[in-house]
Amino acid sequence: MFSQDKPIMMNKNQIYKLLILFVLSVSISCKDSEGEYHSVVDKIEHKSKGYHGVLISSDNLLEGTDLIKITEGEHTFMIPERKGKIKSYSCTECHSKPLNEIRGDHKSKKAHWDIKLAHANTNAMNCATCHNGNDMDNLATITGKKVDFNKSYLLCAQCHSSQFDDWKGGAHGKKVAGWAPPRASMTCVNCHNPHQPHFEKKWPARLNTQKIKERKDQLGH
Amino acid sequence: MSDNNKWYSLNLGTLKKKSSCSCNSSSGGCSNHSKEKVEDNTTIPDGEHKDGFDQVFDVQMGRRTAFKKLTASLLIGAGAVSSSCSVIADEESKEKAQIDWDEQFKGNYKLMTDGEKKATVDRLVRSYQLRTGKTINMTSENAQEDVLFGYAFNISKCQGYMDCVNACVEENNQDRNSQMQYIRIHEMKDGKGFNFNEADDNYYHEVPAEGHFYMGTQCFHCDNPPCVEVCPVQATWREEDGLVVVDYDWCVGCRYCMAACPYDGRRFNWSAPEVPENEINKNQHYLGNRMRKKGVMEKCTFCVQRSRKGQNPACVEACPTGARIFGNLLDPNSTIRWVLENKKVFRLKEDLGTEPKFWYFMD
Repeated sequence: MFSQDKPIMMNKNQIYKLLILFVLSVSISCKDSEGEYHSVVDKIEHKSKGYHGVLISSDNLLEGTDLIKITEGEHTFMIPERKGKIKSYSCTECHSKPLNEIRGDHKSKKAHWDIKLAHANTNAMNCATCHNGNDMDNLATITGKKVDFNKSYLLCAQCHSSQFDDWKGGAHGKKVAGWAPPRASMTCVNCHNPHQPHFEKKWPARLNTQKIKERKDQLGH
Repeated sequence: MSDNNKWYSLNLGTLKKKSSCSCNSSSGGCSNHSKEKVEDNTTIPDGEHKDGFDQVFDVQMGRRTAFKKLTASLLIGAGAVSSSCSVIADEESKEKAQIDWDEQFKGNYKLMTDGEKKATVDRLVRSYQLRTGKTINMTSENAQEDVLFGYAFNISKCQGYMDCVNACVEENNQDRNSQMQYIRIHEMKDGKGFNFNEADDNYYHEVPAEGHFYMGTQCFHCDNPPCVEVCPVQATWREEDGLVVVDYDWCVGCRYCMAACPYDGRRFNWSAPEVPENEINKNQHYLGNRMRKKGVMEKCTFCVQRSRKGQNPACVEACPTGARIFGNLLDPNSTIRWVLENKKVFRLKEDLGTEPKFWYFMD
């Protein structure tokens, strides 16, 4: 009996030693770079504390695009300039007389024949919701305040406030070029036709015929 | 053998004369040394350290080891040696043999120094030029500091147009015959939740279809990627900027990673990928869209050849609905951060602890 006890005692000592070694090794391996963070969100939070900006920039990608800087709320970013892209701006070059005088005037050049308004319904919207017949070079809010063509997003924001918030933050819409700063985002009318803002149905850009074949083969087996 | 070599290379007839310095110091303490090192990096990365046969022969070793090493090398490089030592073979085929040899015995990209990375990229560009007569532009750009790439996908916005898939195939030189695609767009029935078993990822009718919604999947670039864990040869790893990449030249094609990925994010080349010459995207990255070979894994790299230059991945740029958002997770002012902090975001199979850097959200 006695001779059997001794080795057990020694084993206990060894177990303690092993335990200490194990705890040590675990505590060391926890500091390993792989397991440093509990989650990627923790990692982002911690690593972005010392963020000083990046060397990459979108400047060269944005070269050649006319941009204007806007500040809305706490967001400051760039959007494409608009007025220079409108084919016959300024509008007053043709709209020299009030609208009702031009209308039905057969001497004037025909224009805007392709514009069909399919935006909300006629109870809510007509041309005058955004355009001011007495000041064709600018847009107008519902209450008649002047809005520059370059800042047409202000008109959209009157009704589409949640989309406006998402757009300012960057959850709605697209960037002009890359991800790198400075931020340049497309404005509403770069993707939506303001007169027909809805996206049409269309066919998918591609069909994977190989996948169809492979699936048929699988069913046959 | 010189210390910083991780592989043998055969320098047939193109041995560069080693630069000597009057101070006879081997530690690089004299100013001449450091200057030459800089020049080497920018011009000829080949002659940077002891190379070729020197590596093998300037070593103290037993006859047995020497024979062993020589036989192994010579067996694999027999073709290269025969053509490069031949008097009849022209300069070009000698150079080609030299490149093939160096490529055969190069190390794992993950362990390469910047000079070694540039050397292998230069070899691949030259090899492509010798084979096709066309010049490609390949880089080995490293991850930038303070960058961690992340992606957000707006389920309310995706309409299933699949323009992203087209752009991805073209950008990344994916095999046209097998119609390999990194991105899958799943058409899901409203009211059924995210039911991938009942979803269709190969629909062909006008979209968006009544009563359906669309969501895209691709490689999620997990921060804790199970695919990396299982790779027996460490041919895939997570870069500092969060991209999970593959060294196609180190991959042995065992497809463990494909089995380990819970998101079906990886693709395998069952046949040699083919792309018509005029459709090849010549702006390439070693870890990205360069031409792959038969029997290796590949997958979405968030278009490493684009993203490391500040551009958006091809899918983000091609999406007509703005459903795809990409950016730097470490930049507190980035749009991706705004999405994560202000929208209700979620990831697929979060309970697995894979920590994907690909979030979904709705308007």
